[in-house]
Amino acid sequence: MFLQRQVPLAICFVVGVVFVFQDFVPHHDSEQLLTVFTDWGIIITGFASLLGVGSLIQVHWLHIKRQNAGWGYSVVTYVAMVGTLAAGIASGGKAAPDAQTGVMPAFGWVYNYTMVPLQGTMFAILAFFVASVAFRSFRARSVDSVLLLVAAVILLVGNVPLGEAAWRWVMPEGVPGIADVGDWVMNTLNLAVRRAILIGVALGIVATSLKFILGIERGYLGGGD
Amino acid sequence: MAMSRQVLARREVWAIIGAGVLIPIVFSIPATEVSISKGVQAVYDKVESIPPGGSLLLSFDFDPASKPELEPMGRALARHAFKRGVRVVAMGLWITGTSMAEAIVRESASEFGKVPTRDYTFLGWKPGGYLVIVEMGQDLRKTFPADFNRNPTVGMPVLDGLDSLRDFDYVVSIAAGDPGVEKWVIFGRQKHGFALGGGCTGVIQPGLYPYLQTGQLDGLIPKIRGAAEYELLLRRGHGIPEGLASAGMLSMSFAQLALVGLIVLGNVLHWRSGKGTGR
Repeated sequence: MFLQRQVPLAICFVVGVVFVFQDFVPHHDSEQLLTVFTDWGIIITGFASLLGVGSLIQVHWLHIKRQNAGWGYSVVTYVAMVGTLAAGIASGGKAAPDAQTGVMPAFGWVYNYTMVPLQGTMFAILAFFVASVAFRSFRARSVDSVLLLVAAVILLVGNVPLGEAAWRWVMPEGVPGIADVGDWVMNTLNLAVRRAILIGVALGIVATSLKFILGIERGYLGGGD
Repeated sequence: MAMSRQVLARREVWAIIGAGVLIPIVFSIPATEVSISKGVQAVYDKVESIPPGGSLLLSFDFDPASKPELEPMGRALARHAFKRGVRVVAMGLWITGTSMAEAIVRESASEFGKVPTRDYTFLGWKPGGYLVIVEMGQDLRKTFPADFNRNPTVGMPVLDGLDSLRDFDYVVSIAAGDPGVEKWVIFGRQKHGFALGGGCTGVIQPGLYPYLQTGQLDGLIPKIRGAAEYELLLRRGHGIPEGLASAGMLSMSFAQLALVGLIVLGNVLHWRSGKGTGR
């Protein structure tokens, strides 16, 4: 119990307090301490990737074993993972074409001709769904939604050169450009709200960190405490 | 909603947006020039102020999903630096974007006859997210003992005099999310005090304005429009032909104006059906 509870709590307290002050101490030893802990952090993150791969294998293995709905996709995931891994090992981890011959390694083919277009396609089709949903659901039902609608139209029109040109053509001389109005929306209205959110989040992080440092929050120890 | 469906089905809405995007690209219709925003001008001016032989760190913090939006600004920044004889050191905080970022830098460098390890290098990716920024602020070569092509960074000519982040003339993070521009502000700029600019997708743009206003970011290239502005500045300043962003601006124009039209039409139908007036 001592090793499972008191020791981790003590480590958390000491490291937490030390690194609160470390940021304000520009001494060489203080910087060295940060370097050591940063190295540890990077190593731990590297191992977390392995944990992720292990978890992926386990979850999809269970899907296949129990033949859950859509278990075929788990097979595809396995094939893609093993295939990419094999291509990566065969290419020595290199994806760029060879400097002398210009030949693209297998890993580069997998990356450039499957991953890049697939991810790009997934993101690109969002535009079609957004347009469809906006047409059917973006309604001026209340004062709030009217404000949202007006802001959206200003930003959409002001974002593109054709919109700017159309605005200049319609509006009399002396009226600010639509892009300027859009900038004002972003730099004034959006900025105020974003800053409030940022300050709120920062205060929340401070409060949560204090709970960890002082041992009030112990969820990370496990055991349902 | 039902009346909207009667007038235009989902596939027709998709066809309108698809046509708006494709027609300008297929028929190569040129777009009108965009106006230059302050944030883009600030990044351009900063790169312009780096003396030949100076250094620019480009961090490609995005994956292929954001390639269409962010690749043009990555190419524009790299071209600008190479044209001016500025040394380029590139890297990425997103593992899935590493090879893509390497290709952007390599291809931009070859346009100007630049030599790897002498004029530019791509350091690659390392696990740790913001911890990589912290470590780079202390020792660049320890963080990346070798570049992406396994050339040792110790003794690499392009890194002469560059021991940590504070030695760079300018750092720009081109980001689609986290870790990205925000982490570079908090764990890089605030601690080490180097000049930092950003490039970002439209999705994360609103969240970066507080940093821009406080001067923690001295410039921002937002979304594909920002890249088009940068390409325009490059043509005016250095005669470098515009690239992908400018080519896509008319598609953006048609698609976004079509979206505005659809929203207006949807509301008109909603009000005509009596729901908007409470009938």
